[in-house]
Amino acid sequence: MRNTLAIAAREVRTYFTSPLAYVVIGVFLLLSGYIFWASLVRFSELCLRFASNPYYSSQLNVNDMVVRPIFGTMGIIFLLLLPVVTMRLLAEERRTGTAELLFTCPVTSGQVVLGKFLGAACLFLTMIGVTVTYPILIMNSGAAPDMKPTLAGYFGVLLMGLSLLALGLLFSSLTDNQVVAAVSAFGTFLFLWVIDWMASSATVTLGALMSRLTLGLWEKFGLGTAGPTLGDLLGSLSIIGHLRDFQKGVIDTRDVVFYASVIFMSLFLTQRVVESRRWR
Amino acid sequence: MLEVSDITKTYGARTVVDRVSFSVPKGEILGFLGPNGAGKTTTMRIITGYVPPSSGSAKVAGFDVQDQPLEVKRRLGYLPEHPPLYPEMLVRPYLEFVARIRGVPRKQIRPRVDRAIERCGLQAVAGRLIAVLSKGFQQRVGLAQAILHEPDLLILDEPTVGLDPTQIREIRSLIKSFGGDHTVILSTHILAEVTMTCHRVLIINEGRIAARDTLEGLSARGGGGRRVLVRFARPADGAEAGLRALHGVAAVEAQDGGLVVEMRSGTDPREEIAALAVGRGWGLVEMRPITLSLEDIFIRIIRGEDAAVAAGPEGPAVQAGGPEGPAVEEGPAA
Repeated sequence: MRNTLAIAAREVRTYFTSPLAYVVIGVFLLLSGYIFWASLVRFSELCLRFASNPYYSSQLNVNDMVVRPIFGTMGIIFLLLLPVVTMRLLAEERRTGTAELLFTCPVTSGQVVLGKFLGAACLFLTMIGVTVTYPILIMNSGAAPDMKPTLAGYFGVLLMGLSLLALGLLFSSLTDNQVVAAVSAFGTFLFLWVIDWMASSATVTLGALMSRLTLGLWEKFGLGTAGPTLGDLLGSLSIIGHLRDFQKGVIDTRDVVFYASVIFMSLFLTQRVVESRRWR
Repeated sequence: MLEVSDITKTYGARTVVDRVSFSVPKGEILGFLGPNGAGKTTTMRIITGYVPPSSGSAKVAGFDVQDQPLEVKRRLGYLPEHPPLYPEMLVRPYLEFVARIRGVPRKQIRPRVDRAIERCGLQAVAGRLIAVLSKGFQQRVGLAQAILHEPDLLILDEPTVGLDPTQIREIRSLIKSFGGDHTVILSTHILAEVTMTCHRVLIINEGRIAARDTLEGLSARGGGGRRVLVRFARPADGAEAGLRALHGVAAVEAQDGGLVVEMRSGTDPREEIAALAVGRGWGLVEMRPITLSLEDIFIRIIRGEDAAVAAGPEGPAVQAGGPEGPAVEEGPAA
């Protein structure tokens, strides 16, 4: 534990002594702040327009119109920004030779991986920590958001961000080159986002697909062609798709388990990669 | 303290370290000598546990490097060829970080870091950014990092590279001060370094141990006094033939404006040479034994000519380059 914290602390120190942390946090706040402002302006415009109509104005909800889109936007910004945060974590150690220090110290590779992950997580927490001011800002106005769905949204965004960090760390362990690490992490993130779009159009069921692949054998064994579609499968792999329920304020164990497994699997694989690279 | 047995490391078809075995007792400073690419660094990395060997094993203080890596790493200080520095950190925080992950107890971190800074002469730069330090200071920070937890076994891969002569002297005396309490392995391709700091020398070439000896033993291989150089003020034509006719002279050869006289073993014809020169009036101005310098011995060992040198007292010719194989004590019967 002590080793893990020492490595995490060094990582945080490095982030904040280099311009990287400030640029990443700054860009993130600029974009998410703009979206917050724009949706707030639109919301108040609509409120004014329908102020005379009690039916419409009762339909206007600050959670739906301001808070929810912010979390969606944050998710997208993470896809684009977090590869930059994770790219140097392990790739840099290899390139500069400091890996030789870490791995000749009485520290296990698991502790190194976990320390790196926690270090990146600290930067990430700082990043979304600042955005907590957004809901607080409108708390005392007439448009005070409901607190519970907001917190659920934060929980979802947090889980999604940590999943992306763990995945990014995995890519950083695979190469000595930071740019390669960033681009491959970025590509994977985008892919996990894009399959969400395909999901709605892929209506063929998995059973029918298997039947076609096995030249009818599948049906002969009476396994059936009904059941979930390919789209359902792709949809449940989408990293953004699992954020949707959180945005609505619903904490579904399916989504929590999905993110937790992505984090665990990525960290586990990273540790295996780090361990196996010694043998080459 | 350190027991290396039969270590082999292959990368694909390339054998980098080939069946290397040696042991170092506690308190000894072992010089690890060899040309670039001889396998010094790989051997050291195997001992530190950074690189696993393809076969064979290494034991530090009785702990196997592969089976109990943490126990080994706790007792180890290591300065790799390129000092493992984080350029964006200040010197002191960097050393404190290393102390923490090396497992120095929290209360001792400060005094240990202070002591390492003092021993490596880093007081003036302790608050500076590592990136802006000169190569010499960076090397010293690397050394401070390796010694700050007072390791039982200190492994230094070319510790004096990039230092100026005064710094080299300081680092050498620092390394010397580590002998006795700590075991030190030092790799270098500078012979003078070995002469000044090490108790024993291990010469490694193309992945194999080419020679292992104490420093005295190695110098003795220079075949002290088996050859003498004589110089005459008025060299006559008959001088060479005259000398060759003397009893106890094996060969005579003109070299460097003088004559190199090869003596037969068990004889010492120097008196006769002097008497002859005086009698014929050649004007003897110089007569001195030729001993091989460490450099020569090293180069001979690397080239595989050492068999002839080692055979010095018995064999007649030094430069014959015997037909025997290159290996001296090691060398697998392949």
